[in-house]
Amino acid sequence: MSKQARSLEIEDIKKLIPQRFPFLMIDRVLEASPEKVVAIKNVTANEPFFPGHFPDQKVMPGVLLIEAMAQAGIILYRQKFPNDKLLFLVSVKARFHVPVIPGDQLKIQVVPIKLLSKMGIEKAEIFVGNTKVAGCELAFGSQDAKAL
Amino acid sequence: MADKMQEEILDIVSMVIEKEKKQIPLDAHLIQEVGADSMMALEILAALEKKYRIVIPEEKLKEMTTVNRIIAMAKAAKKK
Repeated sequence: MSKQARSLEIEDIKKLIPQRFPFLMIDRVLEASPEKVVAIKNVTANEPFFPGHFPDQKVMPGVLLIEAMAQAGIILYRQKFPNDKLLFLVSVKARFHVPVIPGDQLKIQVVPIKLLSKMGIEKAEIFVGNTKVAGCELAFGSQDAKAL
Repeated sequence: MADKMQEEILDIVSMVIEKEKKQIPLDAHLIQEVGADSMMALEILAALEKKYRIVIPEEKLKEMTTVNRIIAMAKAAKKK
């Protein structure tokens, strides 16, 4: 853990990311610095998406794993640029290895590939225990990114 | 060396913009003429940094308008 790294509880997290129930995919941040963010999402059987995905077998949707990585990515961006710009996903290259089910604790790690004030590219991975369940490279931009 | 780098950079630009190399004239404006956008410029920049182990500062992004300018920029960054 680098010297600047700090942990964040849910109220601090809500100050950094705009998503709210049922779309807030980060419960706690263990480590936050401009070089790396490590966040936790606890997946419970009561998640609002489980009744439909799927009725007979609860599996967390892959797109929501991407959402969780993207939200951890916003926290990483804000460590370097503490503004309140709304960020939009631009491209995602993802791979899923193992299904995520109720009871899993997701450990989401994000590191920057290139972070600029108006846009960025980051690399994210999700682990359950020591097993990597998903990974992606995501690019995002802010609303004013087009005015380059 | 110079031609190799030109070819490699054209490969990167072609891959990011999703256009064939022959559709990308070296002096064409990538955003106005070739159909790239600013996010693609960032992807090109990140790919260059990885390939040549260089660091390109944010303000250089504005100058990445043509393939020729990107090549010149990458060469200058590599010398440092």
